[in-house]
Amino acid sequence: MSFLEVKNLTYTYSKNTPFFNDAVEDVSFSVEKGEILAIVGHTGSGKSTLVQHLNGLIKPTKGEILFCGQNIWNNEKNISSIRSKIGLVFQYPEYQLFEETVFKDIAFGPKNLGFSEQEINESVLNSAKLVGISQEYFNKSPFDLSGGEKRRVAIAGVLAMKPQVIIFDEPTAGLDPIGRNNILNIIKNYKKEHNATVIMVTHSMEDVALLADKVLVMNNGKKAMFGTPKEIFSDRNKLLSVGLDVPLITNVLLKLNELGFNFESNIITVDEAVNAIINCKGGADNA
Amino acid sequence: MNNIIEFNNVTYNYSSEDADYIVLKDFNLNIKKGSFTVILGHNGSGKSTLAKLMNGLYKPQSGSVLVNGINTLDEELDLKVKSTVGMVFQNPDNQIVASVVEEDVAFGPENLGLPQEEIRQRVDSALKTVNMYEHKNDMPHKLSGGQKQRIAIAGVIAMLPECIVLDEPTAMLDPKGRQDVIDTIYKLNKEHGITIVLITHFMEQAKYADRVLVLNNGEITADGTPIEVFSKPEFLKNSGLDIPQTTELIFELAKKGLNFKNGIISVDDTANAIAAALRK
Amino acid sequence: MLNDFTLGQYFPTNSLIHRLDPRIKLLLTLGFLILIFCATNIYALTLIIFFVVCLIFLTKIPLKMYVKNLKFILPILIFTTVINLFYTNNGNIILEFWKIKITDYAVVRSIFLSLRIVLLIIISSALTYTTSPNSITTGLESLFSPFKYIGLGRAVHTMTMMMTIALRFIPTLVEETQKIMNAQKARGVNFENGSLIQRIKAIIPILIPLLISSVKSAYDLAEAMESRCYNGGENKTNLKVLKIQKSDYLAVLFFIICCLIVFLFNIVF
Repeated sequence: MSFLEVKNLTYTYSKNTPFFNDAVEDVSFSVEKGEILAIVGHTGSGKSTLVQHLNGLIKPTKGEILFCGQNIWNNEKNISSIRSKIGLVFQYPEYQLFEETVFKDIAFGPKNLGFSEQEINESVLNSAKLVGISQEYFNKSPFDLSGGEKRRVAIAGVLAMKPQVIIFDEPTAGLDPIGRNNILNIIKNYKKEHNATVIMVTHSMEDVALLADKVLVMNNGKKAMFGTPKEIFSDRNKLLSVGLDVPLITNVLLKLNELGFNFESNIITVDEAVNAIINCKGGADNA
Repeated sequence: MNNIIEFNNVTYNYSSEDADYIVLKDFNLNIKKGSFTVILGHNGSGKSTLAKLMNGLYKPQSGSVLVNGINTLDEELDLKVKSTVGMVFQNPDNQIVASVVEEDVAFGPENLGLPQEEIRQRVDSALKTVNMYEHKNDMPHKLSGGQKQRIAIAGVIAMLPECIVLDEPTAMLDPKGRQDVIDTIYKLNKEHGITIVLITHFMEQAKYADRVLVLNNGEITADGTPIEVFSKPEFLKNSGLDIPQTTELIFELAKKGLNFKNGIISVDDTANAIAAALRK
Repeated sequence: MLNDFTLGQYFPTNSLIHRLDPRIKLLLTLGFLILIFCATNIYALTLIIFFVVCLIFLTKIPLKMYVKNLKFILPILIFTTVINLFYTNNGNIILEFWKIKITDYAVVRSIFLSLRIVLLIIISSALTYTTSPNSITTGLESLFSPFKYIGLGRAVHTMTMMMTIALRFIPTLVEETQKIMNAQKARGVNFENGSLIQRIKAIIPILIPLLISSVKSAYDLAEAMESRCYNGGENKTNLKVLKIQKSDYLAVLFFIICCLIVFLFNIVF
């Protein structure tokens, strides 16, 4: 039994609504406890619709989502309880802040879930620490913070619900390099501390190479590829055909191979590339 | 006159309820006509303020900003300044005024009081330049982020500016939209001779520039060609910036004893340089 | 909740009516609405009904679209009709129970009133179905332009600019609302269940973020407009200039004939 399993998920949108969700067609995959799954695909490939299914915000037209073996729609009345187990951080989450103070805003989710006063305090403290928001900020208005800080407070608000699976929809969109690194560290740390499963929608192949255990490639609402980053990035042509590319560093090595070298196709990070090139140099020097 | 924009000892404070922040102090900068300048800097480095001073949206508290020799403090010539230096902002949704694409592009020329035939001709040619002509009767909210941003650019070029300042125009776009917008900007510079000032935190976009500035706490801390600026990776990281993976690879290999010319950015250059170093 | 919200009523079938000048359409709509209330007897009203049926046919818009709008006001329609039944004591009593008397005059009056409301809705639907919101704005600006001679030019321009921006931002705001709702749902807010007070409370986490992002959009938009040389509409010209065409004259002629016949019927019968 997988931790979270999606089986033949299909979603067709109704034409009568002004809210356009991209369609999803017959998508199946699974993710285990403690894994990071990256979902990639160009805009309109259905990835945002897909992740909104995972915590019951959208009901699938066909197929099912099994969390610990249970169909999340088995008890439809209780669908909001699944949202405490599977958290979702939307794109630009800073736009959901509304409380008077940072503390109250982070506590909003836990309060809705009916945590006790003590549990609320504890989980707010923990998640604030995890995102690097110090206690001095607790009584400030969230609207007085900088863009990057706002985003971290918003993320803390979802982490404070202590989800076992946490989904991030383009968590670093619009941030500068420092902000991006902060968010990626938060994701890594939460996973480590809670042995949680992370699902991350992203456009950055470099982030995928650094963080992900598995990758799901979406194209036109369908699953195009599924595997480890090394497997996915070893097929550049397939990625190009769905409007994506391999990490910049892999491109450099592919180019080197065109120039007559013979590097392995599964080098996806700068460190791996440095080692491979130095080894190659060493080999050539020794020969 | 060789400079389109000149900052002379500009000071600009931003005051809030609690305190005054000095964003720029005794700031000097010249932007050459026809150049392509990229300004890098982390959030809060003063980039956006700098941009808004360039077309008189913000006025300096002391010193002067000259656009084609016109002081931006001159109220009489305000429209001249704003039509000479066009501005494109980060959020594509918040800069489109009308609910039909061509009517939005026409907004600038309409404000300039141009005759109808001329507006029509400028709108059509601007839309063709950004490759959005076939969308001229569409509603902007149905377009993708990259398309909206190109509409915003068309709205600016319909005023026939000599210079366009773009404040993080690709921050909210996906990779495809980002590339389309950057290609459009590059074309405007190379084919139409429009001066470009591009503010960004996507480091790889610096490779299109002929001049790169690094802004940190309201001061220019680096100024040079892309190659010159990217040959100092440690410095860039300390300025709160990133470096492209290609530049990082070269830098790491150099530390391990391989010899390179520094500051290489593109994939092809990187591969060629490594190949040369390995074959030595 | 928001899914029932249709964006604008415009229904582009490019009919003869669609191509009429928006100013003419606005004026004629107003004219017809007045005419409906000028028709004092059943013959004149029948004639107007006949004209309106022709109008529906000419717009090439499916009848069910009009019916949809009528369904929307059905409760009001029934309410006013019933109230009117009891309202007057004139005429011969045809039904009497308890303290309530219904007269034949009241019945005729009720039928008249409900027919008028139905016609009113159909005619205004025809206007919004055949005229894009942008054309309505341009038309209104042009119609109000004489006000500039009495020093109200700025006011007229400001009004139309506001309408333009509202039209542009309604879809964006609706989208934004949906996004914020989903985000708060993901934080455990329950919009579907709970008491009335709980539901009202649940609106606050939507309203505040929406307000804040609207204020930010407004700031951004103001700077973008200023950058594009907007200075309050002074000397502003227009990409699209309205022009009266032959079909517009025909429409006006048609309306005048309608008026004449209706008044004739009013007098003769």
